[in-house]
Amino acid sequence: MAPRALEGLRVIECGQMVAASYMAKLMADLGADVIKVEEPPGDPARKRGPFPDGVPHPEKSGLFLYLNCNKRGVTLDLKRPEGQELLRRLVAQADVLVHNYPPPEMERRRLDYGWLAEANPRLVMTSITPFGLDGPYRDYKAHDITVMAAGGWAWINGWPGHPEEPPLKAYGQQTEYQAGAAAAVATMGALLARQRDGRGQHVEVNAQAVVASFLEMTYTAWPYMHVVSVRWGQRPIQPIDFFRCKDGWIFVLCVEEHQWKAFVELMGNPEWAEWEIFKDRLSRAQNYDVLRPYLEEWVSNWTVDELYRAANERRIPFAPASTMGDLLRSDHLRARGFFVTVDHPVAGRYEYPGAPYRPSLTPWELRSPAPTLGQHNDEVFGGLLGIPRPELEALRASGVI
Amino acid sequence: MAEHGKGPLTGIRVADFSWVWAGPFCTLQLAHMGAEVIRVETTKRICVTRMLPPWAEGQPNPNTSGYFNQYNQGKRAITLDLQTEDGQALAKRLVGISDIVVENFAPGVMERLGLGYEELRKVKPDIIMISMSGYGQTGPLRHYVAYGPAQVPMSGFSTLTGYRHWDQPMHVGLSYGDPNAGHHAAFAVLAALWHRQRTGEGQYIDMSQWESTIVLLGDAILHQQMLGHQPPRLGNRDPHMAPHGFFRCRPADPESLPYGLLPEDRWVGIACASDEEWRALCGVMGRPELADDPRFATLEARKRNEDELERVVEEWTLTQDPFEATRKLQEAGVAAFPPLCNKELAEDPGLNAWGAFVEKEHLVAGVRKHIGIPWKLHGTPCEVWRAAPVLGQDNDYVFRQLLGLSEQEVAALKERGVIA
Repeated sequence: MAPRALEGLRVIECGQMVAASYMAKLMADLGADVIKVEEPPGDPARKRGPFPDGVPHPEKSGLFLYLNCNKRGVTLDLKRPEGQELLRRLVAQADVLVHNYPPPEMERRRLDYGWLAEANPRLVMTSITPFGLDGPYRDYKAHDITVMAAGGWAWINGWPGHPEEPPLKAYGQQTEYQAGAAAAVATMGALLARQRDGRGQHVEVNAQAVVASFLEMTYTAWPYMHVVSVRWGQRPIQPIDFFRCKDGWIFVLCVEEHQWKAFVELMGNPEWAEWEIFKDRLSRAQNYDVLRPYLEEWVSNWTVDELYRAANERRIPFAPASTMGDLLRSDHLRARGFFVTVDHPVAGRYEYPGAPYRPSLTPWELRSPAPTLGQHNDEVFGGLLGIPRPELEALRASGVI
Repeated sequence: MAEHGKGPLTGIRVADFSWVWAGPFCTLQLAHMGAEVIRVETTKRICVTRMLPPWAEGQPNPNTSGYFNQYNQGKRAITLDLQTEDGQALAKRLVGISDIVVENFAPGVMERLGLGYEELRKVKPDIIMISMSGYGQTGPLRHYVAYGPAQVPMSGFSTLTGYRHWDQPMHVGLSYGDPNAGHHAAFAVLAALWHRQRTGEGQYIDMSQWESTIVLLGDAILHQQMLGHQPPRLGNRDPHMAPHGFFRCRPADPESLPYGLLPEDRWVGIACASDEEWRALCGVMGRPELADDPRFATLEARKRNEDELERVVEEWTLTQDPFEATRKLQEAGVAAFPPLCNKELAEDPGLNAWGAFVEKEHLVAGVRKHIGIPWKLHGTPCEVWRAAPVLGQDNDYVFRQLLGLSEQEVAALKERGVIA
């Protein structure tokens, strides 16, 4: 068996929806022992779906199944002191505790670093919050759409020339994924620090700031040029646009002049391409209304795949606007073995996206499907914590577990 | 001269051959934690981001790009022509005293330069190396050209994102595949470092930016298989929350707006996850009767009558300032926030109070307000110790101090265009 990079690390995850669950998934997939703690009635991701044939079922939610492979699952009512004590006993035997309860919800569950670290001074506790643990917005409620707004992302997403349309959210809980990935980076930093000084610490992640940290060049346009970025403004260079092919859509992209020249050649050097108004990428943007119909007509005679290949053979970076079906059928992804088949006892067999990276020595691996609700209660509370069976039954009867 | 920043990665050195955005975003995370990141650049093929705006005061200059300066804070930079044999030999010597190598060239480029993993492990057996190419190191399309903006459509985001009534794919507003790959690469490298610290073993990591973007769409990939089609484009709506979207607000006073903004382009994002939150929203709108209106009383009803619901909410927001509406809604327990533009971000009371910004003196661009570290390690605080480097800013430090070349040797290498 290949060694696992994070073998021997135990992570307690109190995650709902995406952020903390995703961070713990990243660690679990590299070998950490992740115990996911769900409060009754379970992680809200269990209600999100998608569900097979559209029929809701807590063990069949696609989002939950995807985010929680390779983890053990227990249930615990963290709003009750008995539940909080049990969580403290769990973290006493763990390296990391990660959660994404916003500050007011943290307090309700006594997710207090000082109190937990008394039980385990080597504990790294990672708090993923929308706006940080303090500051004027600490108590603000947040969902993906409002964090995308607060981080400056929504403002720049939309389409040129359409100020009548609102800012636009990107698909899925992307601010949560990035907050989770940033948290995984920061948590590894805290673990590496512990390797030196033996001490744990509290890690705080601010999702609004995480989003603001990756706005490409749009944020700095203000401090550098006092230019306000707008989603509906003209693109500075062209073509960077979607076009309809016979069987789908393609993204036509010519950033560098040599790419445009190669594209013109691919189009058979039409006469209009010689016109002064299309002479460079800036002119093409200024005269895009004239240019677009020519490209539109030419592209419409191709299939996506033919044009994608023809362009790339000439080093022009066109890309298909992939559908999920396209991805599942991709020869390239198949050849790399990207998708992994997971057989879940209740939900059944599906293909999930696999490794985001391939470490040669300590591989990414899929070991087990997502846990059913409370699947590992006996193993963790009885085995790991050594709680005798009668006591376990009492905790179960009183609804703590 | 500023002392190098401290943090969990103090003493860890990164030979950073990456460029554009994905690789530099990875090494930015490492620099944030105190690693000594040395960017290997050359004046003969200047990094794309140095050549893109915004430049300080709009004057093109490879040292004053806000794009480059945002993502290269706290790093060192040298100029070294890797197309020369001497340049390659010096690069190897640098790797010999480094812990981590990051690169995001097309597959095969590092090998052609004599800097492939097999060569590098000869000079540093426990080196950790990550290659972040568009398609990965294997597979039939590995040599295809991969550009940042293309990752969004390729990975499927463009067919999932978009206005409901528009029949076309959309972008997501930024080259999302790049910073996402940077985050994931930084994590992969740190996990490999964790393994090395325990076992002494280094390793090579093959990363495909395409794959690392698709992992953000696990639910949509399962949707396709569970329902036989992919999730429909919902615009700003959400299947489990309503109202959920951006609602137009009262036009701003044109006098108060910076150049370029339209007075009517004012919005507030609102999301109600429960009937209680809907009731609270009705209270803030001064329309308590709507809470029990059968058209809106339950999530199911609100989803069924969502056009009408959105009309009713916007009727109210059109009378409101977005920031004032946010304050009122949050006080009542409803998630809300205006979509901030870059100016509003720089002035945002929350980000400023939390300490999200850094203002360090840059050698040419001066003091600019940059976004700093978006997380805090409370036990081992991290900081951006220095602004982004100008081209070759650390040539003397690296070639003289670290690699021990003499002044004459450095001068000769400059003369011959190796350090250039």
